[in-house]
Amino acid sequence: MNATTATAELPRTHSRSPRRPRLVNAELLKLRKRRGLVLATFALTILPMIVAYVVLVILHATEPAKHGPAGGLENFSGSIYVLTQLGVVAAILLGATAGAGDLRSGVFRELVVTGRPRLAPFAARVPAGLGLAIAAVWAGFAVTAVASTVLAGSLEAPGAGLLVESAAWLAIVAGLALVLALGVSSAVGSRGTTIGVVVGWQLVLMPLLLQMKTLGSLRELLPVAATERLGPSSLFDGGVAVPMSLSVTIAVIAAWTIVPLAVGAWRTSARDA
Amino acid sequence: MSIDRQANRRKEGSGAFIVETSRLRKRFGDRVAVDDVDLRVPRGSAFGYLGPNGAGKTTLIRMLLGLTGATSGTMHLLGRPVPAERTAALARVGAIVEEPRFHGHLTGRENLTVIAAAREPEAHDRIDGALARAGLSRRADERVKRYSLGMRQRLGVARSLLADPELLILDEPTNGLDPAGMHEFRDMIRGFVAEGRTVLLSSHLLDEVEKICDAVAIVDRGRVAMQGSIADLARGGEQTILIATSDEERALALLAENRAVASAVAEPEGLRVRLGPDVEAEPAADDIGRRLVPAGLAIRRFEPARASLEQRFLEITSRLEEAA
Repeated sequence: MNATTATAELPRTHSRSPRRPRLVNAELLKLRKRRGLVLATFALTILPMIVAYVVLVILHATEPAKHGPAGGLENFSGSIYVLTQLGVVAAILLGATAGAGDLRSGVFRELVVTGRPRLAPFAARVPAGLGLAIAAVWAGFAVTAVASTVLAGSLEAPGAGLLVESAAWLAIVAGLALVLALGVSSAVGSRGTTIGVVVGWQLVLMPLLLQMKTLGSLRELLPVAATERLGPSSLFDGGVAVPMSLSVTIAVIAAWTIVPLAVGAWRTSARDA
Repeated sequence: MSIDRQANRRKEGSGAFIVETSRLRKRFGDRVAVDDVDLRVPRGSAFGYLGPNGAGKTTLIRMLLGLTGATSGTMHLLGRPVPAERTAALARVGAIVEEPRFHGHLTGRENLTVIAAAREPEAHDRIDGALARAGLSRRADERVKRYSLGMRQRLGVARSLLADPELLILDEPTNGLDPAGMHEFRDMIRGFVAEGRTVLLSSHLLDEVEKICDAVAIVDRGRVAMQGSIADLARGGEQTILIATSDEERALALLAENRAVASAVAEPEGLRVRLGPDVEAEPAADDIGRRLVPAGLAIRRFEPARASLEQRFLEITSRLEEAA
């Protein structure tokens, strides 16, 4: 640090993404540079798929009469169900980190000092988080799609339509979990608390509530009911737990997207930096 | 960040004061942290906001920067009312509030990229220059979690330069720096002022403020007790003359007869003569000299003892203590 150092170097040319806004790039940078987080989320979605198909291949190879081919539609359905659960966890990890990262590090204050409206960096977290979460579930999905097709053998392989539909559905499920975690963590300011609360809600409490028939149509308000309704029909042979109209489905998903984000945005605007 | 552009932009600024607050107040429950503060920071100066710990310095800075709201009063930054026009005002303000904070998992350069993304597009092009200015070019691609406190402070300065700031607000910037680091920091701040920027420096270190700043506001218990140039503030204190003579006892007797003299105390270096509060220093000193010499005393030393900012600071804060 020397006061006599040259004032500044000449501006240099930077290669910037012409499409993504700079704040989204910055949020993406913050997330993807957390190597542990990125490894964990991708491992969470890819490794179980690889392990599952390797086990199925071994079983089929050792006892073909008892165990059918590793691929095919049935195994695809099973692995997609597992992938939704794992994708939800991965999305929660990412959402909780994106929402509370600036607060935990103290950089939130530095962002406020720039004078930029507080909602701008908050809003940038949504596409950045969604981008990584969807990339993680689609990576796991790619393993499943390839394995269930290549290893189908004599079984019916999932068709192109089902693959596209499933990929889109996984993106919706993971996206919904991400915005919920992002909103909660922005509101409470704690990554750990958010992960505990949202994972508990998504993977324990909500499935329990969904099975409680005494709740009747109130169960339509659960996001899992709405996402099941949107899922590929061939994945839900036994039918969805709560039959509901498409308009209600869309309304429920919209509410579970908007409300957490609104709460997070409000808290971000109102909190002392 | 070209010099011409900086200069042109600085010419656009209006008004003599880059920071102005009027009856600014912040209350936390029953406790008043900032109490009707009227602050005026002249453009192009290094201005010290000096006060003991807990005097409300950081709270005032946090209000100026929009980190917390004011309970009442008004604020203007760069001539713009805040919070109403805080986005435009803060676009040309760089700040370090308390300890600068960063994402430890990112490199120094990446941390600046994150903040540059929240500023105008040109901020990104200032990253290399800011890192060079802070002496961090060679370590810019290391993760910040490996940085020392001094390096973090430098990175904080680099970050504040991304705004090409007209005003730099530095809250206790030399905390934790070693003497060499403090010296470098002082030089850097003077360098900013030489470029036409204004630096508002909050500190509890008298020595630091006296060495760096042109003007100062002394704050205690949330109130600004006094503000002005350092020379003016020091002059405003008690007026004393240091006199060494061949016969101190006779001199003391003669001084006791002089109405302009409030007290005279023998000290190792001579008599410390304190003038009365309403006395004009120069005629009174002339009069004292005229009485001592004809009495046959040899005058070995006769000089006004300039009050340091420290003496003045202690006078002011102890007066507040008595009033409380």
